[in-house]
Amino acid sequence: MADFTAEVFQNEFLPDGGTDVHAIVRVTSSGASAGAAATAAGAGGPESSAEVILIDTSGSMGRRGVAAAGVAAKAALNEIVDGTLFAVVAGNGTAQIVYPYSHQGALVPMSSHTRGEAIRAVEQLRANGGTAMGTWLTLARRIFETVPHVTKRHAILLTDGVNEGETPASLQAAVQSCIGVFQCDCRGVGDQWRVEEVRGIASALLGTVDLIPAPEEMAAEFESMMRASMARGVANVELRVWVPQGAELLFVKQVSPTLEDLTGRRTPVNPLTGAYPTGAWSDESRDYHVAVRLPARTLGQEQLAARVQISLGSDPVAQALVKAKWSNDDSLTTRIDPAVAAYTGQAELAQVIQEGLAAKAAGQDEVATSKLGRAVHLAAVTGNEEMTTRLRKVVEIDDADTGTVRLKKGASKIDEMSLDTASTKTSRVRR
Amino acid sequence: MTDLPPIPSGTVPVGTTGDSDPADPTVDPADPAGGPAADPAAGRDCPVCGTASVPGSSFCEACGADLGGPHPRTGGLPPSAWASPADVEADTPPAAGAGSDDAVLSPATPQTAPVGEESPLDVGWTGAVPSERTEPMPDDLTCTACGQGRIVDGYCDHCGTPPPDPRNHFSDAPAAWVGGVCDIGKRHTRNEDAMALSATAAPGSRAVLVVCDGVSMATDSHIASLAAATAARGVLDQPFPKGVGTPDAWAAGAGRALTTAVKEANAAVAATVRDDVPNPPSCTFAAAVVEDGVIVAGNVGDSRVYWLPDAAHDAARQLGRDDSYAQEQMSAGVSRVDAENGKLAHSITRWLGTDAPDDLTPHLTTVRTTPETPGWLMVCSDGLWNYCSEAEALRTLLQDAVGRVGDSPVALAQTLVDFANDQGGRDNITVALARLAGQGSKTSGASRASGETSGSAATAGPEEGDPVHG
Repeated sequence: MADFTAEVFQNEFLPDGGTDVHAIVRVTSSGASAGAAATAAGAGGPESSAEVILIDTSGSMGRRGVAAAGVAAKAALNEIVDGTLFAVVAGNGTAQIVYPYSHQGALVPMSSHTRGEAIRAVEQLRANGGTAMGTWLTLARRIFETVPHVTKRHAILLTDGVNEGETPASLQAAVQSCIGVFQCDCRGVGDQWRVEEVRGIASALLGTVDLIPAPEEMAAEFESMMRASMARGVANVELRVWVPQGAELLFVKQVSPTLEDLTGRRTPVNPLTGAYPTGAWSDESRDYHVAVRLPARTLGQEQLAARVQISLGSDPVAQALVKAKWSNDDSLTTRIDPAVAAYTGQAELAQVIQEGLAAKAAGQDEVATSKLGRAVHLAAVTGNEEMTTRLRKVVEIDDADTGTVRLKKGASKIDEMSLDTASTKTSRVRR
Repeated sequence: MTDLPPIPSGTVPVGTTGDSDPADPTVDPADPAGGPAADPAAGRDCPVCGTASVPGSSFCEACGADLGGPHPRTGGLPPSAWASPADVEADTPPAAGAGSDDAVLSPATPQTAPVGEESPLDVGWTGAVPSERTEPMPDDLTCTACGQGRIVDGYCDHCGTPPPDPRNHFSDAPAAWVGGVCDIGKRHTRNEDAMALSATAAPGSRAVLVVCDGVSMATDSHIASLAAATAARGVLDQPFPKGVGTPDAWAAGAGRALTTAVKEANAAVAATVRDDVPNPPSCTFAAAVVEDGVIVAGNVGDSRVYWLPDAAHDAARQLGRDDSYAQEQMSAGVSRVDAENGKLAHSITRWLGTDAPDDLTPHLTTVRTTPETPGWLMVCSDGLWNYCSEAEALRTLLQDAVGRVGDSPVALAQTLVDFANDQGGRDNITVALARLAGQGSKTSGASRASGETSGSAATAGPEEGDPVHG
C-alpha cells in the first residue's frame, strides 16, 4: 500500500494587521508503484485499471503522420501491463473504436493475443476527414462507463490539428462530461494544433500537455507516457483543504511538477473543507501552493490557517498544518519563504509567457514585448536557464536584468508552441 | 499508513460527560417530576410511586412510602461535598456561596439512601436521575476561544485557535481563604507576571503570597519571574524561628526570611540567564507571609502589598513602598496622580536580576490583625494598581466585588483581573488575596495567646527597611 507524507514550507509570521498566509505543501508518495505491479499481477484484480488510446486520423495527418501514429500506438500498447483493460479509438470528425472488435465489447484485457490483434488493427488506419475531439472524448467516456468498477481510468489523446470539426462550446461540453470519469494526457504533433485548446482538455482531465515536434518522435513519447501511467498504482487521490471559520481560501494550486490551478475544482466536504481531485499517483512528489486570508488577530496570537490533507476515498493518509502567528518583529515577518517565493515567481513566469504569446498571435506587439520582457527578467532572476533558452528562440534579449527585449522576426511557430507548452512545467524548489 | 482523524465537519460536538451524574446530591431520585407540589391535606398521590392514596393516610398503600413527613430530599451530604475541587480551580467563579443552596435542601429523611448509594432494591428507586446541571461539562478538548470546535492536533477544528498557553492565565487556591489569579492582560504577547502561593487549611493560620513582575523587553523575563516567585515561596514556606515566642520575635524572623527570599529569588533569576543575551531578564518582588493573623510584607520594585481592612474606620494602606521613579517623585512632593502618569512612571529603581542594584533589602512591614479586625491581604502587580492605585479606592473596588461574587479569594482575584482587563489590560495582571477574619482562632486558638493583641487593628509600626533609591 502506498505511503503518503506531507510537509509544509511557509513563513508563519504575519505583521500587525497581516491577513494573507502562503504555504507550499509538498506531498510525496512511496509504494504507489508497487501497488500498480501488485494490481496487474492480480492482487487488486486484473481489471482494476483501464487505458484508452485516442489517435487523430484526420486528413491533415497524412500517410506519414498516421503511420507514425500507428508506430506510437504500438509502443504504447507494448507498455500496457497484461490484464489491463484497453481500447484504441481513431478520431477525425467522428470517433470509432478500432480495437477491440465489436463482438468483444468496449474493452478487453491485455494479453499477448489481444496486443497482437490491436497492433494489426492500428496498422490499418488511414488519414481522412476533419477533427472533432469532443466526439473522441465522448466515445472514450462511454467506453470507460462500461466498467464502473475500474477505479484507474486513463487515456492518451494525440492530435495534430485545430478542432475545426465542432464548436468550441461542443468541445467544452464534451470535456466537462469527462471530468472525474477518466484522466487524459494530451500530445500535439507538429505546429498546426492550438496549445490553448489542448491544454484545456489536459488540464480539466488531470493530465499533461506537450508538443511532439515531428511524427518520428511520437513512439518514444507514447512509450514514456504509458509507462508513467502504468506506474500510477493509487487512483483517485484527493487533496483536502480545511480553513477556519471566517477565513477565505484564496487559491489552491499545484505548482510542481506542473502548474495547475485547482481552486475552481473544489467539491465541498463540509462547510470548512473542500476536496480537490489529483488523479492517480505513482511514486512521486507534488507541491501545492495554498493561500488563505484570515481576519487579522492581535500581536502574539497564533492560529491554524489551513489543514491540508491527502485522502484516499474519505480516509486521510497524510496532512500538513499551515499556521499563522502575528508578530511585531520585522525580522520574522518580512521574510518570504524561499519555496513560496520561487513558485510564486514561476507561476508569474508561466502567466506572462502565455499572455505574451497570445498577444503576439493577436498582433499586439507592444503587449507581447512587455510580457515576454518580464518573462525574460523572471527567468533570469530565478536562474531558470531552460526557460531562458526557450525564450531566446522567440525574442532577442537586449538586457535580461531590465527585461528589455525585441520580438524575433521569423521566430518559428514550433518554438513559440514549445515555449507555451513548457511554460507550466516548473523547476522543483529544493529545500 | 498513518492514521489521522478525518477533517472534522465543524459540527458542534456535544459533551456527554456531566449530563448524568448519579452522585449529584442536588437531585432527588424519588422526585423526577419536579417536586411535591401536591397538598398533603387533599389526599395526594404518593410522591414515590404515584399511587393515589387515601386521604389522611400516613403511608402509601402501594409502596409504603412516608406521606406525612417532609418530602425526602438528599441523604445528608454537606453542600461542601458537591463543590468539586474543579469548581475552585475553574476560571469561572464558583457559584457564590454554597450557603444559599442550604436553604433549598430540606432536612434529610433517614429512610432514603444518599443519592448515588441507592439501589434498585431501595424502596422508591426510580432509576438514574439526570443531573440538574444541564449544561454539558466542557471537556479538555473543547475550544475555549469559540466554544464550538474541538482541539485536534493542537488547534481548534472550527476557528483554528490553539488552546491557551497555561502560562498566560493561571489561578491557584492553596486553601479556601487564600487564592490568586495571574493573567496575561490584553496587550502583551507574553505573561511575564508570576505568582506563587501556599497556605495551610485553617483560615488565617499560615500563608505565603509571592508576586513577581518580569520586566518586559528583557529576554525570558517570563521564565525568570516564575523562577523567582517559586524560589521565594520555597524559602518562606519554612517555619521561622519563634525566638522568645512573641509575635514581635516571629515578625523579626519573618523579616529575615523575606530578605533571604529576595536573595534566593535573585539567584533563581540569575540561573535562568542564558550566556549570550544582551538584555538579561529581571523582575520585581512582592511577598507577604501570614501566621496566626500577623502579616509581614516585603517588596523590591513596584509590585505591591496592601492591607484592606473591612471596617471603614480602619485605614486601607499599601505595605512598603515602590522602588520607582514615580515614588521618588511623590517623595519629592509631586501628587500621586501626576507621578503615576508621568513619562517615567513605570521606571523602577530596584529589581532582581544579574544587573540588579547591590542593595536588595526589601521594604518590610508588619501588621497584626485580630478576629475583631477582619480584612483582606492583597499582593498584586502594577497591571492591577495601574487602574486603581489608592489603597482606599482599591478597598472599595474589592468590597464591591465581594458584594457581587462572594468571598472566594480566587473568584475575587478573577473579578479584579477582569476589572483591569476592562480598563484596557495594558500590562500583565496578578492579584493574590488572603482573607483574614480571625477564623484562625477557632482552630489554632491555643497558639494565639489571649490578649496578645488588644483593641482594634493593632498594627505595629512598619519596620521599614532602609529606603533605597537606586
